[in-house]
Amino acid sequence: MPQNALKALYLTTAVAVCASAAHAQAVDMDALVAAAKAEGTLTTIALPHDWCNYGAVIEGFKAKYGIEVNELNPNAGSGDEIEAIKANKDNTGPQAPDVIDVGLSFGPAAKAEGLIQPYKVSTWDTIPDSAKDAEGYWYGDYYGVLAMAVNKDVVTDATPTSFADLKDPKYASMVAIPGDPRTGNSSMMSVYAMGLANGGKGGAEAASAGIAFLKDMKASGNFVDVGGSAQNFAQGTTPVMMDWDYNILAMRDKLAGNPPMEVVIPSDGVIAGVYVQAISAYAPHPNAAKLWMEYLYSDEGQLGWLSGYCHPIRFNDMVDRGVIPADMMAKLPPADSYAKAIFPTLEEQGAAKQVVADTWATEMGTN
Amino acid sequence: MTLDVSAKPADLPLRPRRSPIAAGWTWLGVVPFLAFTFLFLIGPVLYLMVGAFQNAEGGFTLDNIIALGSPDIVASFSLSIRLSLVSALMGTIAGLVLAHAVILGGLSPWVRSAFATFSGVASNFAGVPLAFAFIATLGRLGLVTVLLRDLFGINLYSSGFNLFSFYGLSLVYLYFQLPLMFLIIAPALDGLRKEWREAAESLGASRRQYWQMVGLPVLSPTILGCFLLLFANAFGTLATVYALMGSGFDVVPVVLFQQIRGNVLYNPNLGYALALGMVVIMGVSNTLYLILRNRAERWQK
Amino acid sequence: MKKPVPYAAIAIALIGASYFVVPLLATFYFSLKMTRGELGFAAYASVFRSADFAATIVYSTIASLAAIAIGTLVIVPTAYWVRLKVPRLRPLMEFISLLPLIVPPVVLVFGYIRMFGSSSVLPLTASTFGTDILLVLGYVVLSMPYMYRAIDNGLSVIDIATLTEAAESLGASRFRTIVLVIFPNVRAAIISGAFLTFSISLGEFVLASLLNRPAFGPYLVQLGQDRAYEPAALAIMSFAFTWGCMALMQLFAIRKPGQRWFSRSTPRTATGSSA
Repeated sequence: MPQNALKALYLTTAVAVCASAAHAQAVDMDALVAAAKAEGTLTTIALPHDWCNYGAVIEGFKAKYGIEVNELNPNAGSGDEIEAIKANKDNTGPQAPDVIDVGLSFGPAAKAEGLIQPYKVSTWDTIPDSAKDAEGYWYGDYYGVLAMAVNKDVVTDATPTSFADLKDPKYASMVAIPGDPRTGNSSMMSVYAMGLANGGKGGAEAASAGIAFLKDMKASGNFVDVGGSAQNFAQGTTPVMMDWDYNILAMRDKLAGNPPMEVVIPSDGVIAGVYVQAISAYAPHPNAAKLWMEYLYSDEGQLGWLSGYCHPIRFNDMVDRGVIPADMMAKLPPADSYAKAIFPTLEEQGAAKQVVADTWATEMGTN
Repeated sequence: MTLDVSAKPADLPLRPRRSPIAAGWTWLGVVPFLAFTFLFLIGPVLYLMVGAFQNAEGGFTLDNIIALGSPDIVASFSLSIRLSLVSALMGTIAGLVLAHAVILGGLSPWVRSAFATFSGVASNFAGVPLAFAFIATLGRLGLVTVLLRDLFGINLYSSGFNLFSFYGLSLVYLYFQLPLMFLIIAPALDGLRKEWREAAESLGASRRQYWQMVGLPVLSPTILGCFLLLFANAFGTLATVYALMGSGFDVVPVVLFQQIRGNVLYNPNLGYALALGMVVIMGVSNTLYLILRNRAERWQK
Repeated sequence: MKKPVPYAAIAIALIGASYFVVPLLATFYFSLKMTRGELGFAAYASVFRSADFAATIVYSTIASLAAIAIGTLVIVPTAYWVRLKVPRLRPLMEFISLLPLIVPPVVLVFGYIRMFGSSSVLPLTASTFGTDILLVLGYVVLSMPYMYRAIDNGLSVIDIATLTEAAESLGASRFRTIVLVIFPNVRAAIISGAFLTFSISLGEFVLASLLNRPAFGPYLVQLGQDRAYEPAALAIMSFAFTWGCMALMQLFAIRKPGQRWFSRSTPRTATGSSA
């Protein structure tokens, strides 16, 4: 793109951003679509196709607006996404991400480092206040609860229904978490959920109780310290594994009964985890990024996530308006499991992470 | 032609002394390589070095370096060094034995080709596929474990074997260390001339004496170099450990990964400091190797 | 007199072969179990049906071959020069050549983006071809430890000082010496290094993914997400493909100039012809 045109675009975008930050409702969709199409590409990062059915969501966006989507590193963690923004500050090539989808605690951190820019989508008001930044820098996109996948080929008798069940000796060498709680959000939340189930009240207490629970399980031989993945699950090494419900349900679809799997939401500790969206402050295609947000937070985008078993952030609003198809609702686990879901706050998550960071190595004897 | 035996040594033409400028030109020969590595290796690494001394806001700090002395991190480094030493030792010995058997053992030439090409592939077969291959073979429900139990009545895990342990991991590491050793030592084994063997035998040396006094001394600088390469290779391995050991094995690359990648922990500057520590360890082991190699190469001078 | 059967060598070769083959067999066996209750190639069919398989593997093969060529051209003359003329630099060279093993690739690629980003002096990332070049050079750097060590070992067993003197006394320039004398003599070492470079570059993930190039590594990861049987099938297929490429490379490399591809069906009769 010629330098002058680029500068002009940035200038108009800056004006538009100021305007839109002031008036959340007054988003001129036609102008935005035109500007986004002029940019022609959107660069995303860390969006695996089978995570919340991002594959279909991206295809839907491409089909609706005819904009190319450049997908970087689907395996990236939240930290990788932040690093990618930092590394590409001066780079407007296709390696620079426009939009990020990170864990809840990374939203405020990215805002503090000046890595993201504010934008309020047209459906801003229907996003719960607890899941968004008041100034519009980051906003929750979807949530899920922690669930258990049970390989019925290996676990031939009763399926566990709660974390307490897992202590039973008949589950020896069977229980696994997705990976290292110091690296992966879902593993960290597994520990948190186990802690809550064992009487710990939120925050640091839940983390300590969870680590104590896992330490007991390791001593009794029930815990197998191998990362729970679809492959290890099917092969039989991690027949009872924790992960977000949307990942487990997607895995059940993919495995198609080979092996037969049951999905269980533990009755004694239901933890919900929220992820947030943000636009990079250095995005090479800011208008395409904003259009992407508009799409994601429209009913169409939110239903796209729901088809991947993720609960979109505007779920309650959409249920109230009756826009969710009945068959999609039927495919989700029963709603009363979600009624008891606890949403850890930012402070609680931070405290829990600190406890895990400080004590996991010594408690679990990793070195 | 008569030989003038009265000519004094001073009258003989002197060898032209090298001018200092000409000596300087020899350094030019390595400029392309140095330029290439500076642009594409050292340059990016310098970012890392600088980052090790910065905090999250970009200011100068020694906190990260001091954090390297904490007991957890020291334990990580110790674990990494032990694992790399064991793995390099296993790889060096096994690779040497296999290479000798295949190349010098009197087998058909196609055997060597098969092993050489296979080694090329296997030397990079690491990470999740390798970990899974071993889980599927020697895990609790692995093919070999089940076969041993059903056909021979041997219960592998109750006899103390555990794939998910220090030595189990070393066994998995061997899968890419052995082929690496094989490929890298092969050219050196080719250089062991048959004439030396025949000369030794004609002087009455047994096979063991030949190896002890001729073969191994000739090869020792190369073997040391390979050992160092295997050590560094094992030291930097991340994906395989992570895929096999889950959260239970805190080698330095894993700790680094936690800090840089972080969904939970996130202190990239500490990660850079860890990388700096790794570079220092490589420097130290490289120096050790040089000292040993100089001693081994003495006879060649 | 018939050569004695080398029992020890055969036993060692068999043990080595089984250590290598059994885990692959286990993976292969698992990959056949995709259809419940029977063994079949459903996982392989699923992989072939995915659109990007052919495109990405071709891209990565070309990038790997380019990396081999550039790596050889950079390293062989340098290793030769250092051994011959400036042996005091050997420790520095070896240290540099080992660095890529411990620098995490993610740090390397972020360094590249900062140094060669679109607003830098050498904006390689601004164009597709520039990024391709950056990727190939990244592969050269990643495989440098192996390439350098293999070639250095190869050079250590030939007497390069004598060869160089002989060539120069016959009137060859430095350049001709390197090309016509040194290269052919370290061919086996170059092949070892080439094998290692190829296999590293083919499945490499971090550089290709963060530089956003359509290589085989990111494709492997993308397909392996949340699936159980396809990754095993892919592992076997890429193993077989890489092995095949190496066998081809080996064939090209061992052949001497003028040698026939296949041996003659009838042996030449030994006629006396004066040279």
